[in-house]
Amino acid sequence: MNMKIEDWQVTAFALGELSGDEAQAVAVAVAADPALRQQVEDARRRAGVLTERLTKEEAPPVQVSPVPFRQPAPPAPAWVRPWFTWIGAAACIMIVSALMLPSLSSSRMSPSSRPPMALDGPASKTSPTLGDPRVSSDWKGDFTGPTVSLATGEGEEVVERAIFFPEAKEADQNEGADYDGYLAGGRASSTAAPGLDRMGRRLRELRRGDAPPAVGVVVGPPRPDPAPPQPDIAYNTESYPNIVENAFLSAKENPLSTFSIDVDTASYANVRRFLTGGMLPPADAVRIEELINYFSYDYAQPTDEHPFAVHLEMAACPWKSDHRLLRVALKGREIDVAKRPPSNLVFLLDVSGSMNQPNKLPLVKSALSLLADQLTENDRVSMVVYAGASGLVLPPTTGDHRAAIRNALEQLSAGGSTNGGSGIQLAYSIAMQNFVEGGTNRVILATDGDWNVGVTNQGDLVRLIEEKAKSGIFLSVLGFGTGNYKDDTMEQLADKGNGNYAYIDTLAEARKVLVEQMAGTLCTIAKDVKIQIEFNPARVAGYRLIGYENRLLAKEDFNDDKKDAGEIGAGHTVTALYEVVPAGLPRPDGKPPVDPLKYQDSNTLTPAAENGELCTVKLRYKAPASDTSTLMEVPLRDEHERFDEASEDFRFAASVAGYGMLLRRSEYAKGFTWDALSEIAAGGLGADKNGYRAEFIEMVKKAKTLSR
Amino acid sequence: MAPETATLPEAEWFAEVVRDLERPLLRYAFTLIRDYDRAKDAVQETFLELVKCTASVDHGRPAPWLFTVCRARSVDRVRKESRMKALPTADLAERASSVAPPDTAVLALEASAEAARLLGLLPEREQEVVRLKFQEGLSYKEIADVTGHSVSHVGVMIHYAIQRLRKELDAVPQGALR
Repeated sequence: MNMKIEDWQVTAFALGELSGDEAQAVAVAVAADPALRQQVEDARRRAGVLTERLTKEEAPPVQVSPVPFRQPAPPAPAWVRPWFTWIGAAACIMIVSALMLPSLSSSRMSPSSRPPMALDGPASKTSPTLGDPRVSSDWKGDFTGPTVSLATGEGEEVVERAIFFPEAKEADQNEGADYDGYLAGGRASSTAAPGLDRMGRRLRELRRGDAPPAVGVVVGPPRPDPAPPQPDIAYNTESYPNIVENAFLSAKENPLSTFSIDVDTASYANVRRFLTGGMLPPADAVRIEELINYFSYDYAQPTDEHPFAVHLEMAACPWKSDHRLLRVALKGREIDVAKRPPSNLVFLLDVSGSMNQPNKLPLVKSALSLLADQLTENDRVSMVVYAGASGLVLPPTTGDHRAAIRNALEQLSAGGSTNGGSGIQLAYSIAMQNFVEGGTNRVILATDGDWNVGVTNQGDLVRLIEEKAKSGIFLSVLGFGTGNYKDDTMEQLADKGNGNYAYIDTLAEARKVLVEQMAGTLCTIAKDVKIQIEFNPARVAGYRLIGYENRLLAKEDFNDDKKDAGEIGAGHTVTALYEVVPAGLPRPDGKPPVDPLKYQDSNTLTPAAENGELCTVKLRYKAPASDTSTLMEVPLRDEHERFDEASEDFRFAASVAGYGMLLRRSEYAKGFTWDALSEIAAGGLGADKNGYRAEFIEMVKKAKTLSR
Repeated sequence: MAPETATLPEAEWFAEVVRDLERPLLRYAFTLIRDYDRAKDAVQETFLELVKCTASVDHGRPAPWLFTVCRARSVDRVRKESRMKALPTADLAERASSVAPPDTAVLALEASAEAARLLGLLPEREQEVVRLKFQEGLSYKEIADVTGHSVSHVGVMIHYAIQRLRKELDAVPQGALR
C-alpha cells in the first residue's frame, strides 16, 4: 500500500473520481498526512469555486444562432416550435451537404490520403475510422444516388416532409397510437402542429429500428453495418440492489411467512422514467411492492383502537387460474391536515456538482417550495446543504415565514463534490436541538445519492443513520435525477432511518408525495410494522410472497421488538399480495417431497387446521414513541371468489403486480401477456380521482411496445 | 391521463435535449474548431445523429454520447479544413479564429464573461477537459471516453488546470461555495 501518491491522484480523490484500490490507497495516505489533507481540502474548494464560476449565468443567453431553436425554456406546449424549426434547419443543411457531396466524396473515400488530425491529443485513438461505429465520420461518402436526386430535384419543404413523414398520406387516418392520446389529453394544446403524431411515430420507428429507410439524409448512410454509435454501458452508473424473486414455499415445511411493511413508492416513478424515456428498466430497478404501493386504495379506515385497519381478500389468480391470490391490505388512520401535530423539519439538500442538472436541483427547489407552502406557524423548517462542505443555510424558521424559506431555496446553487455523511450529521444535530415532543421530527433528504467524498462507505453511512433513527427523528428520502442515481443507497437509508423513500421525477410527482400525501409522508402513526402469516397446510400446498424481497424477516424477528421494520403514515395504504397454491395441487416448487423425519413428527395438524381457515395474518406494530409492540390477528377463509368478482382495488393491485412481474421477466408470469394485463388494469380503474391509474395504463402500453 | 403526470414523449425529450445541450455542445465544439460557423455545423450534425440513434442513447444521460459524437464531428471539420487548404496543423487555431470575429460569439456562448476569461487562462487541451468536467459535469471516465485520453491523463490535465487557476480561485472568500 506504500505506493507513491501523485498530486493529480490527490486531486482526483478530492473530486471523488477515484475508486477501488486506488481510492483506498489515497484515503490511507491522506488520513496519515495533514499536508495531504490540506491538499484535498484545497482541491475540493477550488473545484467548487471553478464549477460555480464556469456555470454561473451572468447575462441572459444571447441569441447567437441564426437557427432559432434555442427557445428560452418553453412551457410544455411550446416544444413544438423549436423542434420544427430545427427540422427545417436540419433539412437545409442536409440539402447543402448533399449538394456538396459529389465533389467531396472522391477524396474522402480514400482513407489512406487522410492528413493527420489537427487537434492535439492522442490522434490515433480519437481519429474516426471507417470501421468505428461510434464515429461514422465518412458517411457522406456513402451517399446513394436516389438521395441526392431527391434533394436536388425537389424543394426544401418536400424534403422535410419526406424525411420525417414518408407515410404522410395514410398516416392522417391511421391510429396515432400514444401520440393521439397524448394530444387529446390536452398537454400539447397547440393545434398548429399537424403531423405531430406522425413525427412521434416516425421517431418511435426510428427507435425501434423497423422504420422504412425513408430517405438517406436522415436515416443516414446505408452503411453495411448499421450499428449505431454505442455509448459505453459505463456511461450509466446507476446502481440497484440485486433482487432474487421470492420462490414458492411449501406450507407444510415453511408455514410462516414474515416480512416488514414498506410504504416506499420510488420504484414506480423510477420505472416510469425509464419507460417514458423509451427504455425498459433493468429488472433490479423493479420492486413490485413499491409499484403496488404507489397507488392508494380505497380501504376502510380503522374503527377500533388500532392506528390502522387490516383487510384481507382472496380471489383467483389472474395469471394462473388454478392458483389463488391473497391480498393483505392495511389502511392507516387519516388525520386532518389542519390538525397535524407541530413539526420540526430539517431539509438536507445535496448541492454537489452532480445535482447541477435541470431535473435535479431546480426540481428540488420547486418540490420543497410546494411543501413549504403547506407549512404554518406550528412548523419549523431548517435547511442544511452539503457538497464539499456542509452548512446551515436556513436556521430554524417557522412555516409562516414563507418568503424567508423560499428565499433560502432560491439561493441554492450546485457545485463541488458530495460528502453525504457530514451533512447528515449536521442535519440530525439540528433536528435534535429543535426536537418537538409529541410532534413530527423529520429530516428530509433530497439527493441523487451519488456521494463521493467523506463517509461514502455505504455501511458506515447506514450505521450512522441507524444510530440517529434511535433518537426519535424520522427520515424521508427524496431521490432525484438520472444517470448516476444510487437507488440502493437511498432505499437502505430510508429503511434504516425509520423513513420513507420516494423518487421525484416531475413536479407532479412532488405534488403527490409532498402535498396530496403530505400527512402520510410527514406523520408516522405506527412504526416497526411487521406481518406474519401462518398458512394452514390442510388448505394450502404452497405460497409465494410477491415482491417485498428485501423486506423479508426471519420468523423469530416477528416477536422481537428490537428488530426494526417499516413505518406507516397517516392515511397510508399498504398492500401485499401472495400467490397461493391450494392443497391438492402438486408441490409448487417442483421439488420432490422430503423424507419423513426420524426423531420428530412434523406432520400432525392441530384441530384448528380443520376449521376451514386458509391462513391467519398476524401484525405487530409500535406507537411512534413506544418501544413495545401490539399484536393484531385476523384469520381468513377462502370464499372461492372468481377474479372478476373481486373488488376493483383487488383487481387493479393484481394488474400492477403482473406489470412488475412482466417487467422483471418473472418465471412466475409465464403465459401472462401484456394484453391480458391491460384488460385487467382497465377493469380495475375505479374512480381514479388523480388519474394515476389511467397513467398506469399508458405505462403498460409503453412497456408492451418496448417489450416487443 | 392526468394532465400533470403526462408522459414525456420522445419528441419532447428530444426538444429538451436540444434546449439543454445545444449551447454546451456549441461552446465545446468551438473550443476544438475555433470557428463559430463550423462549430455550429458540427453541433447540427451531432443532433442529426441523435435523431438517427435515439434508441441507443441513454435517455437519462445523453450528454456523454453527444459530446463523443460532437467531438468526432468537430475533428472531421478540422481535418477537412486542413485537407482543403493544406494548412500546417500548428497554425490551425489562429487561422481559424481570424476568419470570424469570435469574441462576441464566444462571449455569448459562455455562461459568463468570467467563465470565458478563466478558460482563456488555460491551454486549449486543458480547456476542453475543464469544460467537460466543470461545466458539463462529466466524470473522468466519461471525459476519457469522449476525448480518447486515458483516465489518468484526464486526471493530470484537470489537476494542472486547477493548479494554474489557483490564484484566481483562492481569491474568492471561502464562504462562496454554498
